[in-house]
Amino acid sequence: MAGKSSAERSSLEHQNAALMAVFERAGFDHVAPDIIQPADIFLERSGEDIRARTFVFTDPSGAEMCLRPDLTVPACRYHLSHAENPAAERRYCYLGPAFRFPDELLSPQEFTQAGLEWFGAPEAIAAEARVLKLTISALEAAGLSRYRVSFGDLGLFSALLEDTEMPERWRQRLRHHFWRPHAFRELLDSFCAGRGAKRTSVSPLVDRAAAGDALAIVEAEIESRRLPLVGGRELPEIAARLANKAADRQETPLERAKADALNAYLAIAGEASSIDAQFAAIAGGQRFMGARDYYARRLYEMEELGLNPRRFHFAAGFGRELEYYTGFTFQIEADTPHGPVAVAGGGRYDNLLSDMGSPVAVPAVGCAIHTDRLKAVLA
Amino acid sequence: MSVVTLAIPSKGRLMEATAELLAKAGFTIDRLGADRGYRGLLRGLDGVEIAFLSASEIAQNLRDGKVDLGVTGQDLLTEKIPPDDKAVQLLVRLGFGPADVVVAVPECWLDVATMADLDEIAESFYERHGRRLRVATKYHNLTRRFFAGKGVTGYRIVESLGATEGAPAAGIAEIIVDITTTGSTLAANSLKILDDGVILRSCAVLAGRSERLDDPRARRLIEVLSAIT
Repeated sequence: MAGKSSAERSSLEHQNAALMAVFERAGFDHVAPDIIQPADIFLERSGEDIRARTFVFTDPSGAEMCLRPDLTVPACRYHLSHAENPAAERRYCYLGPAFRFPDELLSPQEFTQAGLEWFGAPEAIAAEARVLKLTISALEAAGLSRYRVSFGDLGLFSALLEDTEMPERWRQRLRHHFWRPHAFRELLDSFCAGRGAKRTSVSPLVDRAAAGDALAIVEAEIESRRLPLVGGRELPEIAARLANKAADRQETPLERAKADALNAYLAIAGEASSIDAQFAAIAGGQRFMGARDYYARRLYEMEELGLNPRRFHFAAGFGRELEYYTGFTFQIEADTPHGPVAVAGGGRYDNLLSDMGSPVAVPAVGCAIHTDRLKAVLA
Repeated sequence: MSVVTLAIPSKGRLMEATAELLAKAGFTIDRLGADRGYRGLLRGLDGVEIAFLSASEIAQNLRDGKVDLGVTGQDLLTEKIPPDDKAVQLLVRLGFGPADVVVAVPECWLDVATMADLDEIAESFYERHGRRLRVATKYHNLTRRFFAGKGVTGYRIVESLGATEGAPAAGIAEIIVDITTTGSTLAANSLKILDDGVILRSCAVLAGRSERLDDPRARRLIEVLSAIT
């Protein structure tokens, strides 16, 4: 289209002013994070899938820069460079362009994102419910009346995993694979298989590591085959992984029933306010009980804020494609004659600021609204 | 009716094998103008014009609609044309120029056999070194699609336009995605192919633009080449 007409521009600005007014009235400070960002934070954090969609260029000094593909990371950078104590409570909102190479759905390559980020909120549950409430209020203020709300909760999954007896390194690997349902299931199966696990081209060496000193075996192998040390990994690192693989094989296999419980949890979906009956059918322990209680208290907070969770949908596997979330996640889809269209999403991401260099942990909850898509839906 | 343009590689093994195959089908290539002209005619099939292009440009020219048919490596075709692009179709696997596009890692990574291993070490590599594993390749799209399909995300692609197999030794990348026929170049560089690291078993292919496939000359060429390969 090569740009917006005067009428299109003004109608988008009008809509977005309505969104931002809701955020500002709620005490969120309207800031303007940089559009041009150092590329590394996005690329090293997100990996190649986002990199493929990010406009990257080199500045005259040779530094790799990018046009922000999203505003959450720029808002975090803004916070880290302005706040004396990153963990002290701050509330920000923003409105501005973001840029992505179109994907196969042919989404626009530049679009305007509105959103808010709430750092260091003292009451976690209240903050989560409030961010959802503000997102819905903003969308309604812009004129959206028919929509559906879905959410998930990584806290419940983490708690169930903690309650399931297995070596901690297995838990780490399962957490890492939470985002990839297929890989997750395969990994879980391999933990149940024990000695029966599938053999690979490194299995013979794992056999030897099971019976001896892994580092000595690795050193002898490198020496005898005259393998050059390339690829940036050191021998102790390689030996430690071989030793872990050997240990995995001697580990008591994961009970099938426990693996089934994890899979059963991930298959849970239904109306958000009555979902606890399904949680109750899962054989979890103390931590899972605690997470159920947290979930129930969040529902209560939502109701206190005038939301009606009986209209909301919960899915345990929800948010599996959104890698930086750590707890509550939500998405709001507009009902359209052509089916649901996602217009907003958000959730809790407690690790992002530490990953970006904050010396202290900073709890964070936020949301983002795709304003061009919202405009198209409301048109 | 406008001429049908068939792009074929302008030089090298792929050009020779293509010329042989066309000869076997009863056609000869007439280069127009000077000996090294970049246009020609297909004698034996009226109304087919030949465009001599570098193998790597043929897929792009097909995609842009500048040529109607083309002979090129399946690797280059799949790299340039997304699987959901209906405008260009793979028509005939010609059989010659066999080669695999593979994921290879240093042989000294004695603990790594599969893509799942790669995903695991990607995490610890990031924690130790503060940066992502780097994959040297000229096949950006093939690499992204394959890695995503295997659930591996914690890596970065670094551009490599030649001698990719030397990238790990040069410290430019840890991993490579490259084409190999016998694996000997990989072995000479102390690299090994992952157990599940074959992205594509490639060979030369005839590909064409969907909207030109009803043309009788295009149909005839496809029929003849299908029959002899």
